[in-house]
Amino acid sequence: MQPEDNSTNPIDDLAGSLGETERREFEDTWAKLGEIPAMRVDSDGMRARFRQMLVAEQPKQKRNLLGEWLKNYLPLKPVLQACAALLLVLIGIQVGRETRPVVQPAAVPEVRELSQEVRDLRQMVTLSLMQQESAAERLKGVSWSNQLQSPGNEVVAALIDTLMHDGNVNVRLASIDALKRFSERDVVRNATLQALGTQTSPLVQMALIDFVVETQDRQAIDTLRRLSSDDKLDATVRARAKWGIGHLEAA
Amino acid sequence: MLVTDEALMRAVREGDLSCLGTLFDRYHRVLFDFLSRMTGSRHVAEDLVQDVFLRLLKYRGTYRDDARFETWVYRIARNARADYYAKRDKGLPLNDEALESPDAGPGPESELEHERDSELLRAALLQLREDRRELLILARYQEMKHDAIAELLGVDPGTVKVRIHRAVKELRDTYLRLVEKPSCNPKTTQRTLSMI
Repeated sequence: MQPEDNSTNPIDDLAGSLGETERREFEDTWAKLGEIPAMRVDSDGMRARFRQMLVAEQPKQKRNLLGEWLKNYLPLKPVLQACAALLLVLIGIQVGRETRPVVQPAAVPEVRELSQEVRDLRQMVTLSLMQQESAAERLKGVSWSNQLQSPGNEVVAALIDTLMHDGNVNVRLASIDALKRFSERDVVRNATLQALGTQTSPLVQMALIDFVVETQDRQAIDTLRRLSSDDKLDATVRARAKWGIGHLEAA
Repeated sequence: MLVTDEALMRAVREGDLSCLGTLFDRYHRVLFDFLSRMTGSRHVAEDLVQDVFLRLLKYRGTYRDDARFETWVYRIARNARADYYAKRDKGLPLNDEALESPDAGPGPESELEHERDSELLRAALLQLREDRRELLILARYQEMKHDAIAELLGVDPGTVKVRIHRAVKELRDTYLRLVEKPSCNPKTTQRTLSMI
C-alpha cells in the first residue's frame, strides 16, 4: 500500500458549509463509524489458498504467455493465417525459381508435388472464404475461385451452393459470373436452370437469363417462357426473358 | 527502498508472477475488510479476495502503465462483488452464516452498551443504499483519498465530498431511528434488505 498523506475526514473540506450542530453531528457519526470493529482476517488461510491458486494457475498462464506472443506475431483470423502461409509458400517458390542454378531432373516431381500442394492450399483458402460470415469475405472467396487454374468439384459445388442459398445478392451475382467458366458441365447448367425458376431477386434473375443466353442453353426456353408470362415478376425481368427466348430460338 | 505497487504490477504483467505474492501481502487485508463490510460475510469476503487476485492474474495484460494500482484493484474487487451477487439467486435470503458479526470478545458490562451501539450503527450502515455504503466504507475504513475514490467511481472529487456528507447524514438518521426501536434486530434488518 502507498502511504497516505492527506486527511480522509471530509469534515475538513466541508467545514465551511456546515453549521456548528451539523458539524458536531457529522464528527460524532464519523467517529462512531470508526468504532465498528472489523472482522478477523484469516491471513494464513487466505495466503495458503492464494499460493494454491497461483500454483494451479501458473502452467495455464505460461500457456497464455505463448498464446499472447503468437497473437502479437500472427494474424488473428484463420483465413488470414492461411493466406499468409500461402503467400510465404509462393514467395518461397518464386525465390527458388530465381535462384536455382540448373534444373535438376530428379527435383521435377518434387516441384510438381509442391505446385499441387500450393493449388490445394489456394483451393482450401477459397472454400474457407466462401464459408465466412462476412459477405465481403464470401465475395472475396468467389472471386478467388476465378484465379484457380483447375478447381476441383468442391469449388464448383460451393459456387452452386452459394448461388442457391447465399443471403447476399452481390455474392449470388458474383457466383453466377464465376460459374460461367464451368458452363460446359451439366451440373452447372442444371443448377442455373433451377436457380432461374427459384431465385426471386430481379438482379439475379436478369443475370441468370444472360447466363443461359450466353451459354446457349436451349433447355432454358421453357423456364424463360414461364418467367415472361408471370405478371407478378418485375417488368424488366419479363422483358429480359422475352429477349432471351428470342436469342435462344434464333440460335 | 519500497517497490511501488505499480512497479510490482508491471512486473506481474511482464510475467514475473512472484511479485503477485507481494501485492497479495499488501492488499489482502484491506480488500477483505472492504468486501466483508460490503457483504457482511467473512466467507464470501474471503472467496471474493481470492477471486480478485485470480482476476488480477488473468487480466494482468490489461493493466496500463499510467493506472494507479489501488484504483485498479478496487475496481476489480467491486466487479467481483457485483458479479457474485448477480450470479446468486436473488430470491434467497442470506443465511445466518452470512450475517456474521465482527469479532468482539466478552467484555465488562460497560462495554456491552457500546457494543450494542456499534451493532446498531453497523445495521444502519447495512441499510444504506449500496453506493452510499460503499462510499463510506472506502472513505472511512479503507482510508482512501478523495481523488482516488473519485477516480474509482468516475466522478469528480468535489462530488465525492458532497456524497460522503450526505451519506453520513443519512446514516445518522437511520441509526437514530434504530436506537428509538430497541426491539430492532440488526440481523433481521439485513436479511430483509438482502431480499430487496
